[in-house]
Amino acid sequence: MLDFLIHWSNVIFKPIIDLGAAPIMLIVLTLIAWAVGVNFFHALEGGIKLAIALTGISSIINLLTNAFQPAVVAFVKATGLHLGTTDLGWAPLATITWGSPYTLFFLLIIVIVNIIMLTLKVTDTLDVDIFDIWHLSFTALLAIYFGANLLTASILIIFIGVLKIINSDLMKPTFNDLLDNWDNPMTSTHLNYMMNPIIMVFNKIFDVVFPWLDKYDFDAAKLNEKIGFWGSRFAIGVYLGIFIGLLGRQPIGNIFTLAFTAATCLELFSIIGSWFIASVEPLSQGITDFATKHLNGRVFNIGLDWPFIAGRAEVWAACNVMAPIMLLEALVLPGNTILPLGGIIGMGVAPALLIVTRGRLLRMIIIGAIELPLFLWAGTLSAPFVTKTALKIAPKMVPAHALISSSTKEGPIEQFLAILLGKGQAGDMKMLMFFALAIVAYTLVFLWYRHEMLKRNTEYAKQGFKVNPDVMLKDKAAAK
Amino acid sequence: MIKILAACGAGVNSSHQIKDALEKEMKSRGYDVHCDAVMVKDVNEELLSNYDIYAQIAKTDMSFTPKIPVVDAGAILYRMPAMAKPVYDNVEKVIKEKGLK
Repeated sequence: MLDFLIHWSNVIFKPIIDLGAAPIMLIVLTLIAWAVGVNFFHALEGGIKLAIALTGISSIINLLTNAFQPAVVAFVKATGLHLGTTDLGWAPLATITWGSPYTLFFLLIIVIVNIIMLTLKVTDTLDVDIFDIWHLSFTALLAIYFGANLLTASILIIFIGVLKIINSDLMKPTFNDLLDNWDNPMTSTHLNYMMNPIIMVFNKIFDVVFPWLDKYDFDAAKLNEKIGFWGSRFAIGVYLGIFIGLLGRQPIGNIFTLAFTAATCLELFSIIGSWFIASVEPLSQGITDFATKHLNGRVFNIGLDWPFIAGRAEVWAACNVMAPIMLLEALVLPGNTILPLGGIIGMGVAPALLIVTRGRLLRMIIIGAIELPLFLWAGTLSAPFVTKTALKIAPKMVPAHALISSSTKEGPIEQFLAILLGKGQAGDMKMLMFFALAIVAYTLVFLWYRHEMLKRNTEYAKQGFKVNPDVMLKDKAAAK
Repeated sequence: MIKILAACGAGVNSSHQIKDALEKEMKSRGYDVHCDAVMVKDVNEELLSNYDIYAQIAKTDMSFTPKIPVVDAGAILYRMPAMAKPVYDNVEKVIKEKGLK
């Protein structure tokens, strides 16, 4: 019986799998969106958009790595710095993750977890940010790459997913405060906010040791205006092209080529990023319709992607100031192999800093500088996985030994957990032990953070703001 | 043509949802609307001067006061038609008040 099943699934699925990532995802995404009730042609539209986004991103990865790899090799040789991993930023990583059919499986699991949590009243948030499921999927696929199986990888991301959703409830009053609007359902389940607990530890140290620093805070909006286009994507591409070209002792013509190629690729990455966000749009709408229909009146908060707080100038001021800091850190950080390029505007780093410090810019920058090495290390350790996965959708990607990754991928801690789990399950008992210790520490820090946020939310309520009692301290005595 | 600007973090996700929704709904209400999506950090006085309406997700810190009408469009992101409707109504109100074409 089993042989029969295996035989027929090979007959049916093997030819589809052999077609490659883009056609597979066209078929899978179309069918799944159709299954959740989206009109077939609308579902097909999404499927086709995903296929062209995958194709587009693989061409740009080729363009960028082709132009940069020789220069990066020369750079490494000339400077003696082992920074051979090309930093592509978030968009290619998201694309290659969405290029895996497992992502839809993980999406299904997390949607179910969310609905169960809502039904059990463990949360008030309905997560409609379907696209960003790729962060959890990336974590799970990373664990599997290093040796975990589908079951343990799924359990890991369910655990992280539950904490993420709880965190979105905890942050709700802070979002209201930062938006200066207490009558909106916006919150976020974005993975970058899982750095909050660690940032909170440093923020606490600031409260105790350096509270006087806050009076030196400066106006973020004014700083950004002064920086102007010099901080834009293409300008940064140009600097880094020149930087690598000069240190790699390239001829002048080549330096210009590098500068313009980097700028082009950074611009194109985000354009194509928008294509595949559009591609999952029918699915996102389908899931949201389904969930709201079955949860009548139960939802108070809606979990979105992070940028509804992108209007806060501190996010960009912190990114602008952290960019050169990250470059310097990358040059001297032991164990790091990433030369910051595509991810140098740390959009995966700044939002969590904003939430925890509530916009105290100096704290954001200093704590950001302290935590950036975690991102660089996580990016370095994930590079073999990213490269191997990318090769599946961009097989012509250049040359052997070239590694790609992202310098500011959200969720560095979660990546470490995934790697420890994978290596442990592959048979390294020491890693398994580290994994157990790490997960305990991760949970304890989160629980402490939760308590701090409950305290903060109770404060908000005392100031007369409307706060959901579920995210306040229960114990009146402790609230004082 | 009425030109609207939407903006979000990377200029790829939320702002595009707002762009697509506004273009679709305003077209069905009979207006000729074009909406662009950009990164919030790239929004400045000069850029805004090329548009008729700024459809922000939520309050945006700027070092200047926008001269064009600003409409809160964040509710479009909730993906629930009833919640998005007031956004479209507000945009339509601005169009009518200012006599935009």
